[in-house]
Amino acid sequence: MVLTLIGISIIIFVLLRLMPGNIADIMFDSAGFVDPAEKAQIEKELGLDLPIPVQYYHWIKGLLVWDLGFSFVSEMPAVDELGPRIPITAKLAALALGFSVLFGLPLGVICAVKQDTGLDYTLRVISLSGLSLPSFWLALLILMFCVTYFGDIPIYMDPPENLWDELLLYSIPAAAVGFRSSALIMRLTRSSMLEVMRQDYIRTARSKGASENSINYHHALKNAVLPVTTIIGIEAAFLIGGLIITETVFNIPGVAHFLVEAILMRDYPIVQNLVMLIALVTVLINFAVDLLYAVLDPRIKYAD
Amino acid sequence: MQRKLFTIASAVSMVGLMLSAEAAMAQKNGGVLKAYHRGTPPSGSIHEEATNSTVAPYMGVFNNLIMYDQAKAVESLDTIVPDLATKWSWNGDKTKLTFNLRKGVTFHDGKPFTAKDVVCTWNLVKGVGKAKLRKNPRKSWYKNLDKVTADNDYQATFHLKRKQPAFVALLAGGYSPVYPCHVSPKKMRTHPIGTGPFKFVSLKQNEHVKFVKNQNYWKKGLPHLDGINWTIIKSRSTRVLAFVAGKFDFTFNVDVTIPLLKDVKAQAPHAICELVTTNVSFNLIVNQFKPPFDNAKIRKAMVMTMDRKAFIDILSEGQNVQGGAMMPPPSGVWGMPPEFLKTVAGYSSDVAGNRAKARKIMESLGYGPDNKLKVKVSTRNIAVYRDPAVILIDHMKEIYIDATLDTVETSNWHAKVARKDYMVGLNLTGIGVDDPDANFYENYSCGSQRNYTGYCKPEMEALFEKQSMMEDQAARKKLVWEIDKKLQEDAARPMIMHGKAAQCWQPYVKGFVTHVNSIYNNWRMEDVWLDK
Amino acid sequence: MADIDHQAELVKAGAHVSSRWDKTLFYARRYPLGAIGAVIMVIFIFSAIFADVLAPHDPLQTRARASLSAPNAEFVMGADMMGRDMYSRIIHGARISLTVGVASIMLGGFIGVFIGLMSGYLMGWFDLLMQRLIDIMQALPLLVLALVMAASLGPSLENTIIAISIPLVPNVARVVRSSTLSLREMPFVEAARAAGMSEMRVALRHVLPNILAPLIVLFTAQLGAAILVEASLSFLGLGVPEPHPSWGRMLSESAAEYVRVAPWLVIFPGLAISMAVFGANLFGDALRDILDPRQRS
Repeated sequence: MVLTLIGISIIIFVLLRLMPGNIADIMFDSAGFVDPAEKAQIEKELGLDLPIPVQYYHWIKGLLVWDLGFSFVSEMPAVDELGPRIPITAKLAALALGFSVLFGLPLGVICAVKQDTGLDYTLRVISLSGLSLPSFWLALLILMFCVTYFGDIPIYMDPPENLWDELLLYSIPAAAVGFRSSALIMRLTRSSMLEVMRQDYIRTARSKGASENSINYHHALKNAVLPVTTIIGIEAAFLIGGLIITETVFNIPGVAHFLVEAILMRDYPIVQNLVMLIALVTVLINFAVDLLYAVLDPRIKYAD
Repeated sequence: MQRKLFTIASAVSMVGLMLSAEAAMAQKNGGVLKAYHRGTPPSGSIHEEATNSTVAPYMGVFNNLIMYDQAKAVESLDTIVPDLATKWSWNGDKTKLTFNLRKGVTFHDGKPFTAKDVVCTWNLVKGVGKAKLRKNPRKSWYKNLDKVTADNDYQATFHLKRKQPAFVALLAGGYSPVYPCHVSPKKMRTHPIGTGPFKFVSLKQNEHVKFVKNQNYWKKGLPHLDGINWTIIKSRSTRVLAFVAGKFDFTFNVDVTIPLLKDVKAQAPHAICELVTTNVSFNLIVNQFKPPFDNAKIRKAMVMTMDRKAFIDILSEGQNVQGGAMMPPPSGVWGMPPEFLKTVAGYSSDVAGNRAKARKIMESLGYGPDNKLKVKVSTRNIAVYRDPAVILIDHMKEIYIDATLDTVETSNWHAKVARKDYMVGLNLTGIGVDDPDANFYENYSCGSQRNYTGYCKPEMEALFEKQSMMEDQAARKKLVWEIDKKLQEDAARPMIMHGKAAQCWQPYVKGFVTHVNSIYNNWRMEDVWLDK
Repeated sequence: MADIDHQAELVKAGAHVSSRWDKTLFYARRYPLGAIGAVIMVIFIFSAIFADVLAPHDPLQTRARASLSAPNAEFVMGADMMGRDMYSRIIHGARISLTVGVASIMLGGFIGVFIGLMSGYLMGWFDLLMQRLIDIMQALPLLVLALVMAASLGPSLENTIIAISIPLVPNVARVVRSSTLSLREMPFVEAARAAGMSEMRVALRHVLPNILAPLIVLFTAQLGAAILVEASLSFLGLGVPEPHPSWGRMLSESAAEYVRVAPWLVIFPGLAISMAVFGANLFGDALRDILDPRQRS
């Protein structure tokens, strides 16, 4: 795990330094010219003139004592820039995940139980289309729809005042992102239910005269939840990908939107710390899923 | 021509008078103006930036020595009014400009304003003195400024190397605020301190820039607003939709493009929108040091194949205007009038004829349908740059030039231009002050940092200086036209068009006047109030 | 093998197994959704290949009079801000999407297969190293990695392909590695090795053909993902640059600006992306059912 994180830190650091154009060039953009002497001065101020390994050493040394450096763009501490944005994205992700589980899981079960019926086909087509719609297109259509029919636009403007406002504000973007994950969860629930239902112990239960409902919901679902847990875990980390687009379109000041901006502005301290944060969350979630798997896996339990 | 200008100016000033009369009668105090901003301002330090992203929100933090009357739409030497200076006067040979300064003015941090601050500010811009700006985009404006001295606490003198009557024009724009001596340039970028009507509160990237009323503002009773919140929304479609939905009182500085204006008018018919010439021109930067455009004939052919009217029709539904380096009339004070413009090579309306001639030139150089000249058109990867570049490429096809578009990320654009690593680039140039001194010295003079093409001709330098020293403004204008014509025919920076765009606000926003010949100088916002 | 399975089913269904056409019809009836997907894919590939013939106009030609014109007889899907024909641009866009999709999968697939095969077959330090590398790549969401890659390589068609292909590597490598691990213990592989075949040849001759089925399934599934990521990158301004008529680019800022004045600028490219990805997904699903019997219902 630690090795993975170190690897990521090196790769990200080097990739960023390979990017064409640097912050000094971008700063001059707003002044409309580039002055080589002034540019060299800026690079020196920001420590960009040092060899890459030395820059890397400074970064890691800072990380260890929770000093993330200063944003090149705002000249504010990176901690202050990132800190307030993290909860926003976390809330949005949680809401989206909740949405996708709420829809994906039951629909997946229904599909499996009603396998190969019209309902199954319809739901599968809908879920597949969910995986096919580009999220930015969906978001754009939602915005259009809201303005045209409600005369209002559900974008972020000021920090919401209470929990209800917050929920209201985030629900539409969360649904736009969650739509996709719910399709994924539904498909996985369906296929793992089907697989479980073919297995011996289900047949045994059936032969013992257990009711269909009991079989479907008690035995099959319980066991099918296992792989679904994994995918939910992975989705939670991967939601950040979907949020990049959604936060951008809905103008939500979370970390995902910030990442794109920071990449475009070559704000290295922001990008490298943010990417590390994303990697850390992903790695931790994977770890948690592994743990959960061990707890939930019936075979392990039976072996005890 | 003079008369026409005069009527426009007087009509506009009458509107201004009516506005101020209305304001005097019924202005209300209080309320926070909700505006949107198109992107995070690069910094809060106006002297370090050359973009309205910084000037528009931050101008209210500061005062100038003198400024363009905020209530008058046409900016000229005649509309300059006192600000921190109560009066100004020239010496006999017009090389010394003395300002008498207002007493009892304090900066937002409580420290008093004195002549020392004036000296510090222009030392900063000249690049002398201890404190240094990180970037200094308008150094070229002050080529002729020798030094600034503090005669006493409340009197400062600008010493010029030679006579320059229009020097005051440079000081009157939004780009010339007075900085405090005691605040470092770095602090000015992150938390600017000024004497102006609004105090900076906070900037959060991609979120907002906030300003609050300066309770101790030296102009009694101003500003009317309690504050201004600029919400940052990068997507133009989203922010204009939000304005249409009534979420904002005020759009960003001329943010509404012409196709969008139609939509805003249809969806929000009550909103007030004013279409102005932005003093931002679309032009080509041609690399004369490298093939193929080191060949003057190919340069000429390229300029001739451009159908300026097509650019204008496509990109602005016919609203943008043709012109030279200076903003064309009626909005612009110094631009070549249409009948004069027609005499400039490549500006005749016979596009087919021009192209036939251009093809002849290309054929004489051995190019033809089977031997096309391959060219790269570089531009920034931003729609407003990209769109005209795509049209240019299409027009080049007409004369056996097979061009591809080379889109350059914003992060690389100026570096690439500075390296001269391009053949032809599509560029946008914003002019802060509608005065030839600002434009010529910034964009066409030898050694200026923003003279991207490196155009440098001694005889043109002499002409720049000659017009700059002229006192008779009518005679100066004639000379400026001649200079402009030469610049176009040299293909120094061939002009495609001058842009127009609209500023919109809700009807309850009062006291804001758009200026017709610059978008950079009318953002003090102290007279704006909300009728709610 | 999966195919044998189906032969039996074909016989059971009483179909004439003699002609290819009948076989196709059988599959189409057995997997109607897959068939729809296949049809969409064929249309998509057809327009990509024959774009020059199918498109009524030059996709790059600008026309002042047609700026933002609504769908009409001449421009069936309307025209964009610069008067370029949307229909022609969308047809040519298929070529960009397909190129990016296929090329990135080929590149990512090649690297992935190589890593997977080698680490599954050779094991040892190489495997360990590659597994760490894959862990690293998998610890970042696809779009985040592609975003950083795209930004650091700069916007161009080739770089977009590379940026999208790299995040695909771990998936392919994983599948190939685990299949290889189980295959290398199989008797026929052992036999080949005993017969004196070199390790390399064993891997290429015996192992690779046997992991083709799961690979094809994976590649089809990735095609949709690749098209989507390309569209997303282009939307964010980091993908395929102008004037290439990329679908994602067509939906980006410049078009979104006119979403209300000219909705066709947003609707048609969005539909095109959705349909292409939808087709690839449907087809991929059916293919998985056919080729991967474990998943079959």
